[in-house]
Amino acid sequence: MSVELQHGMKPDLTADEAARGRFVSGIRGLILNDLAADMKAAYDRRAAPAWERAHGRPPATSAEAHKALRGDPAFNIYSAMRVQAQKMVWASVADSVEREAGRLGAAAQAAAGKAVLNPELDVPKNVGAIEVHLMPGSYTRGGDSVEAGAVYDRGLAVFSMGLMGANLDDIGLSMARYIALRYPDFAPTRILDTGTTIGHNTLPWKQTYPDAEVIAIDAAPGGLVYGAARAAMQGQDVQFVQMCADKLDYPDASFDLVWSSMFLHELSKKQRAAALAEAYRVLRPGGLMLHMELPPNAEMSAFDGFYLDWDSWYNEEPYYKGYRDEIPQENCVKAGFAAADCFQFVVPSVGIYGEDAIAAMVASDAAEAVGQATTGRLAEGVMWFGFGAWKK
Amino acid sequence: MSDTPRPDDTPPGLYDDAGNARFFADPAMDRFVAVVMNMAQEMWVQEERLLALEEARGAAPVDREARLKDFITRMFAPIRNA
Repeated sequence: MSVELQHGMKPDLTADEAARGRFVSGIRGLILNDLAADMKAAYDRRAAPAWERAHGRPPATSAEAHKALRGDPAFNIYSAMRVQAQKMVWASVADSVEREAGRLGAAAQAAAGKAVLNPELDVPKNVGAIEVHLMPGSYTRGGDSVEAGAVYDRGLAVFSMGLMGANLDDIGLSMARYIALRYPDFAPTRILDTGTTIGHNTLPWKQTYPDAEVIAIDAAPGGLVYGAARAAMQGQDVQFVQMCADKLDYPDASFDLVWSSMFLHELSKKQRAAALAEAYRVLRPGGLMLHMELPPNAEMSAFDGFYLDWDSWYNEEPYYKGYRDEIPQENCVKAGFAAADCFQFVVPSVGIYGEDAIAAMVASDAAEAVGQATTGRLAEGVMWFGFGAWKK
Repeated sequence: MSDTPRPDDTPPGLYDDAGNARFFADPAMDRFVAVVMNMAQEMWVQEERLLALEEARGAAPVDREARLKDFITRMFAPIRNA
């Protein structure tokens, strides 16, 4: 199903635009649930046995599962349709954003959100030059206008099929709820979100810790302008700043929580290592670094790893697989954290399963089943993966 | 798109000269899939227009999401269980 955004920047769609968006959400449901199941059946029935006959063993890695499936009819139809559906996500919102550009710009100005841009910032290639998620113009589309933010917000509403909540904040809400319940004595007073895009997963931290100062950074200006207005319209006091996560303009020991969601996999290996080291540097003793991400390949079967890595080959996510081949805890240790202070977990979507499910997960200390089939898959029954480390 | 970096272990032959992903032996099939999906989308737009007209003339309201699921299931039944 498609979702109707519930904030002041939500689109005023024509009937045809609403129908197009609804169709894209619907066809994505078919692809990600039904055709994905068909592809797994084809893998078990044809591709993996054929690989085993040729190599004397089943596919052992994501890359081998990919090679085994290339050319299989189920893989071909799943992949060709998923690529086209992704292009249709962005196409389905382009008309409404263009038509409403004036209204959105004026509304953003009137909202007087807190956005601090840095025109001197050299925006990295992975933010502006690669069309991430096949998104035309990527994150820098429209410069410092609200265009990129509006396209992303509206596109994500179509893309997510209702699985990310009415304001696309399910990841932040689920993670913040988990941390608040799991660590009731943790009371951050200053929070930094790195790679915020439009702040959709930043706001839950302000809601969870209302007395904290919350700052959200990103390298792309348009999303920040849009996100600041979006936050202000929801009554959330969050400051948006144009800055790169791998070169923070903040002093040592100046934050209690450094957070990101679905961000690290969009960085190169070098940028990612620098971003984690910067997180360590700006954390105060007792502070927490926390990242929601895709689960690592080491935690899952070759097929499940391939299923998530598909984006790296076909959805303009060039660093996605390299990231997923890494071990989060090893990266945290390289950044300066002690191995004993690192952790990883899986949390149920609060929108799908409710707060009681998260509370039950905390009470049973069972949020460790990282390899379960629904982890990281944007399909029915999604579970979110996270990892983090405490700075002692 | 052709300047996009790729994972280190990317097999050869995944993309055309412009960097677009290829899946079928005949590249025209990749484009044909896109055409079929676009056509289905525009058919659905017309379906919603018809529903709106019928409802304006007194027909009972139709659950769009449920109708769409049936529409997609019927339309794409031939590609299931490939």
